[in-house]
Amino acid sequence: MNGGKSILEVEGLTIRFGGLVAVSDVTFQQTEGEILSIIGPNGAGKTTIFNMMTGFYKPTAGDIRYRGQSTLGLPTHAISDLGIIRTFQKTMVFPKATVRDGVLIGLHQSSSVGWWEILWNSARKIKEDAGLQVEADRILEFTGLADKAHMEARNLPYGEQRLLEIAVGLAPRPDLLLLDEPASGMNAEESAKTLALIRRIRETGITVLLVEHNMRVVMDISDRIVVLDHGEKIAEGRPEEIQSNAAVIKAYLGEGFQRA
Amino acid sequence: MNGRRIAQGIFWTAFLLAVPWIVPDEYVLHLIIYAGFFVMLASGLNLLVGYMGLLSLGHCAFWGLGGYTSALLAIKQGWSFWLGLPAGALMAVVFAFLLGCLILKVRGHRFVIVTLAFMLLIQLVHYNWVGLTDGQNGLSGVPSPMLVIPGVGTIDFFSKTNFYYLILFFCAVTVYVCYRVANSRVGRALAAIRQNENLAESVGISAFRYSMIAFVLGAFFAGLSGSLYAHYIRYISPDIFDFIHIVEMLTMVLIGGRATILGPVVGAFIFTILPEALRFVPNPFWGQSWAPGHLVQSKALPAELQLMVFGLILLLGVLYMPEGLVPWFSRKWRRLRGGSPAEEVRSA
Repeated sequence: MNGGKSILEVEGLTIRFGGLVAVSDVTFQQTEGEILSIIGPNGAGKTTIFNMMTGFYKPTAGDIRYRGQSTLGLPTHAISDLGIIRTFQKTMVFPKATVRDGVLIGLHQSSSVGWWEILWNSARKIKEDAGLQVEADRILEFTGLADKAHMEARNLPYGEQRLLEIAVGLAPRPDLLLLDEPASGMNAEESAKTLALIRRIRETGITVLLVEHNMRVVMDISDRIVVLDHGEKIAEGRPEEIQSNAAVIKAYLGEGFQRA
Repeated sequence: MNGRRIAQGIFWTAFLLAVPWIVPDEYVLHLIIYAGFFVMLASGLNLLVGYMGLLSLGHCAFWGLGGYTSALLAIKQGWSFWLGLPAGALMAVVFAFLLGCLILKVRGHRFVIVTLAFMLLIQLVHYNWVGLTDGQNGLSGVPSPMLVIPGVGTIDFFSKTNFYYLILFFCAVTVYVCYRVANSRVGRALAAIRQNENLAESVGISAFRYSMIAFVLGAFFAGLSGSLYAHYIRYISPDIFDFIHIVEMLTMVLIGGRATILGPVVGAFIFTILPEALRFVPNPFWGQSWAPGHLVQSKALPAELQLMVFGLILLLGVLYMPEGLVPWFSRKWRRLRGGSPAEEVRSA
């Protein structure tokens, strides 16, 4: 993976909420095509980094560069236009839309018909709509949700709602997909399915940045791992390096009685 | 299927065109025209309140701005209605856009309050700018629209029958535009923002941009409706900005069925016709004595009771059809015909 083109550079990223420093001076970079994971105990600041990368929070200091361009100050939808799409830690779907309509919403940016074409229902609009349906079906096929296309999202079982989130996230054709604990709350089988899906996503040329709590998931799939604890980066490296890193073990397991 | 749809289309078109000959008298036609103004208002408001889930209490402001603009241009400048109408709509759009720029970035309850404040402010201006608007007296003598077709003659929209066709045309345009917009990427974006704004932003939908589209489009139809209204009643006063009208419009959207195309249309008719229909309900106490020597004189329900019955009907409607009449009936209809539950009316 080394020597590849850099897609994401996070430099000295810091955010303070009042007196609390949630993320402090975090620096890492990601190469194109790489699966990078950010791990750490609860409250380490993982999701906060996602929130800063996608414009939900404004960092106190530091910079986030995507393909060399800083994304700071851009609104969420503009960051999504650049090609960065995220999913959320707490399940986020369009509850009353069917699975297919949810993905169609995700395809928003693929639609380019203008006002007149919408008003006259022009041939081009009809053709585009048909094309979007095909694309939505392709994504549902890819994520294994094709047979649920007509169900309302809120009626899906939990595991499939999470898959739908990824499907909606894939619709805008991201270059960089940020997945926030995609396997959390899943049983072993669902979690294996999700991992297989993430691998297939990478094969299509999408770079995946993963936030994960579950060590097993991360070790299995990541090319490289960044470990956070209390908002600070405490380690970075390949999975096997992380597994044997003393600081990481300490953060996850504690130092015995002193920290308990 | 397709043949049946065409047949249905022909039937409804013929029915709508025949209305002036079907109705028993001019008064009923007047009520239908009146409902037409509200079809335009409620349909536009539905884009914002129904599809996007953003409550605006200032819709009357755009109605009145459209009406005053076109009425003033006609009275003071002698403009033809056909120029005043787009001017009124443009005025409403400009104000909606400026207000939107100020407040649509934040939305939420602040939006609700600011839209209401805006409407009251506009009303105050119209009350107090006496030199222009003649204040509380309002503007009378707004001319009826006339259409001169060279070689054919003049159509005078003073006639209720003629005006019916005029308002029918504009209602049809309004409903058509709302239908097309709702069934496009714009409609999907509005539904997405209503259901989950953060997720919508995450997939590249600008909540600001689409709320502005819904807001401005609603104001556009309100402006058209206001101009038509002023030239139909031939009078306009600051009462057009009264809060009661926004309550009426919201009730129409909610009773008819929010986020549906037909909902506001049905709501507008029910809300306009039902209170009038209640005037003809016989008084069950007629002829009985309510005190020694006093008989109940009125054959119809007293006005207070009419309003109470109307309120009761609305209350029952909200309780038993919370999603509104149109979704409720289409659900029943589908079930009757054995449709699958998965095909239920989508509110998205």
